[in-house]
Amino acid sequence: MSVVADVTDATFKQEVLESQLPVLVDFWAPWCGPCRMVAPVVDEIAQEYAGQFKVLKLNTDDNPATASQYGIRSIPTLMIFKGGQQVDMVQGAVPKTNLASTLDKHLQ
Amino acid sequence: MSTSPLSSEKNLEAMRHFSETYAQRTGTFFCLDLGVTAVVIEGLAKNKEELGAPLCPCRHYEDKAAEVSAAYWNCPCVPMRERKECHCMLFLPPENAFAGPRQDISLAEIRSHQL
Repeated sequence: MSVVADVTDATFKQEVLESQLPVLVDFWAPWCGPCRMVAPVVDEIAQEYAGQFKVLKLNTDDNPATASQYGIRSIPTLMIFKGGQQVDMVQGAVPKTNLASTLDKHLQ
Repeated sequence: MSTSPLSSEKNLEAMRHFSETYAQRTGTFFCLDLGVTAVVIEGLAKNKEELGAPLCPCRHYEDKAAEVSAAYWNCPCVPMRERKECHCMLFLPPENAFAGPRQDISLAEIRSHQL
């Protein structure tokens, strides 16, 4: 079971945009195959970067407003937010090392 | 929001059969993790049932009905037909690190991977 908490259209501003920590958001959908592959990677990242990054997931079917606002097309898309701004993103079922190196770029 | 948790048996079988035939015809293979294959086939069947066409389930759309009419992302999508690119990982070229040995999947296997 995933350890990564859900974020929704209603909570996105508070949980992501106003977060003190940088945030990784996994934009996923229930019938997306590669999302199943990336979810365990995101889980591991959440544990390894605890205290450095907040890690959340957003179901694009249930929260279309946020997905549209950030121009989500291909799923899964992993976006990094810092200080209320989107600063980076990776798409598809990326290996953990790729995701980790992307996160490392945005650590202080 | 999801309306029906499972697609009808008819559409699921249609998309299962299409996936096998199309993989064989294009020389592509299913993912090593057949759970990926199962979820995508189920998503295609669900879209076929609800929208009338097997719209790619690995995209977010502003307007699903308009996308169905545009047909670009109806499976097999234009990138797959032109360049064998399936970002859903349903049809993988043999050199892809995630490609498995299979071009077949049974209904029982699909059902066993349902969410």
